[in-house]
Amino acid sequence: MDVDTAIKHYVIMVKDVFSHPKGRPGDGKFKATKLEAAIKSIVREVTGSSESLLLERNDSTSCRT
Amino acid sequence: MNIPMLFRSYESREVQPRCKIWEAARATSAAPTFFKRIEIGRAQPFVDGGIGRNNPSWVVLDEASTLFGARPIGCLVSIGTGQVEAVGIKRPGFFHQIAPTDVVDALRAIATDCEDTHERMQRLFTQLPRTYFRLNVDQGMQRMKPSEWEILSRVEAHTAQYLRRNEIDEKMALLGRIITVPKAGLRIEQLGTKGPKF
Repeated sequence: MDVDTAIKHYVIMVKDVFSHPKGRPGDGKFKATKLEAAIKSIVREVTGSSESLLLERNDSTSCRT
Repeated sequence: MNIPMLFRSYESREVQPRCKIWEAARATSAAPTFFKRIEIGRAQPFVDGGIGRNNPSWVVLDEASTLFGARPIGCLVSIGTGQVEAVGIKRPGFFHQIAPTDVVDALRAIATDCEDTHERMQRLFTQLPRTYFRLNVDQGMQRMKPSEWEILSRVEAHTAQYLRRNEIDEKMALLGRIITVPKAGLRIEQLGTKGPKF
């Protein structure tokens, strides 16, 4: 992902995740499910699947930042 | 739990969980008090860096020493997030209303932790000038209200201002030269980063 794309996604994600603190914080003040959904959506958009593996094959040159 | 787990996107001799990108991203955002921790693989719980790990310079040097120990070190560039002042939040503001005190405290601890590691790195690299570079927007962020997610333009402005400072401008020029024409210095393994640090 290039820097501009990363910033674009970051802004959307932060808004999604931090705008609504949990009403009754238990294990963490913010909703992990929202964070998870936001991350998966980014991974899906960039790699084509939200379930892509972290380990790159040797022939891959893409940046996973 | 105290041993850092590296999520690698490259092959390594170390045993590592077969992990998905989102899991790694989620695990590295599991800052205590922010989000609950995540379990990956054999129900191993992960929390984000924690004290001593928020600035991963040591861990990076360790890993580099394992992978490329025999090579000379070119440079180490550490980029901060400008947190120190950003979370300084001296006056109670909107962020205090939405963020509980322990979250603010956690942010402050993270910032302090990053600076501690930076100072240790500076000491380590006194023997090797022009090798370690830390960039961190350390001024101006304190008046930002983290509640406003449109603050990006202001982050940009503070960063631009930081980069215009004489000493930073010189640092960047030097860094640019060193990255393009690496000098033959010490081998990474000679730096002595192995072993306990904390």
